[in-house]
Amino acid sequence: MQHRHLLPNEIDLLLDGEVGFGVAPLRAHVDGCEDCQARLARSRKIVDELEDLEHFAPSVRFAERVMAQVQIVEPWHIAALETAQRFVPRSASMRMVMAATASAVALALTSGAVWLTLHADLTLYSINLAAGRARTVLMDSAASIIGTAFGQSGLDTLRSSGLRGLALGAGVMIVAVGGATFGLRALASSSRRTRE
Amino acid sequence: MAAKTLLDLQNLPDADVVALAQRGREDAFRELVRRYERPVFSLIFRMVRDAATAEDLAQDTFIKILNHIDKYRPEFKLSSWLFKIANNVAIDHLRRRQIATISMSGSPHASTASDIEATSFDIASDDESALDEMESKELGSAIEKAIATLRPEYRSCILLRHVEGRSYEEIAATLDLPLGTVKTYIHRARHLLRESLDHLRDE
Repeated sequence: MQHRHLLPNEIDLLLDGEVGFGVAPLRAHVDGCEDCQARLARSRKIVDELEDLEHFAPSVRFAERVMAQVQIVEPWHIAALETAQRFVPRSASMRMVMAATASAVALALTSGAVWLTLHADLTLYSINLAAGRARTVLMDSAASIIGTAFGQSGLDTLRSSGLRGLALGAGVMIVAVGGATFGLRALASSSRRTRE
Repeated sequence: MAAKTLLDLQNLPDADVVALAQRGREDAFRELVRRYERPVFSLIFRMVRDAATAEDLAQDTFIKILNHIDKYRPEFKLSSWLFKIANNVAIDHLRRRQIATISMSGSPHASTASDIEATSFDIASDDESALDEMESKELGSAIEKAIATLRPEYRSCILLRHVEGRSYEEIAATLDLPLGTVKTYIHRARHLLRESLDHLRDE
């Protein structure tokens, strides 16, 4: 047993319930020293009083005031998941029907994609064929319109002049249509002014 | 359904409620406020000793935490984060306003009696009487009066230790202080409380 009174930090060790090699002699001293017992009891009373302190309550509208200033953000992936979940039927049988339909559609789409990938040459041939037919139909329609408007000689001239002649013809046509539109508008305006 | 959900939330640990709040669940935010409004308000109230100010600062604390809930890392305790912010806003307020912090001791780093004397200070509030506030209904007990006489840093340590039941390590992490400093602060706070209570009881 030690023969001096406990230092304040040693009292703290006992208050905190420390255990260990250095604490046993302190306890032994306290057991035999009325002065240290009294100091320890006073300190323990203060700690007890502190631990008995109750929490204060803020005003009843505190939570509402806090929540009014809190920005609640739902992450996009959560929102997307919840939106998707809304489309899931509640009944088990409907869920099974929906799952079967979705599986069938997915299977068909996957099979189609796989088939197209495996037959890439056939796919390209089909695309070229469709594009060639579309071009022929377009050219025939244009020739028919030009033949009606300018006669066979105009059409022959355009054909003989090639792409440059075609561009020139289109330019002349655009200018002619634009001029006609402008002229008609000017005529309409002047006739309105005359009426007023 | 809503009542059941609320009941479920009340039984969840903090980390799970935070996870729900991070998913945008408003009731999870409310549950966090419900759980911690009293401890946070009490800590701040005992620091600033004015109910209206404490409520404003507690509100700031929650708004800061809840608006950054996505940054919460589950390896830390939510309560430690809350108390850290609460302590910071209270200390900032005390520094800004220099309200009544009737210090009985000097710098916590002072080692001799003359250093303590030289660094001790008494700041009186300009616009409200600290003593009046101390004698208010809520803070009127002897122990509350004694707590009010402590320096703010001692006060936050002793409150976290004995009112909130935090370990020394948690307090060190919460207040960003070295463990030794926390032990010193708590030791000095207990010593000052003993002196203060003896003085109050002798009157």
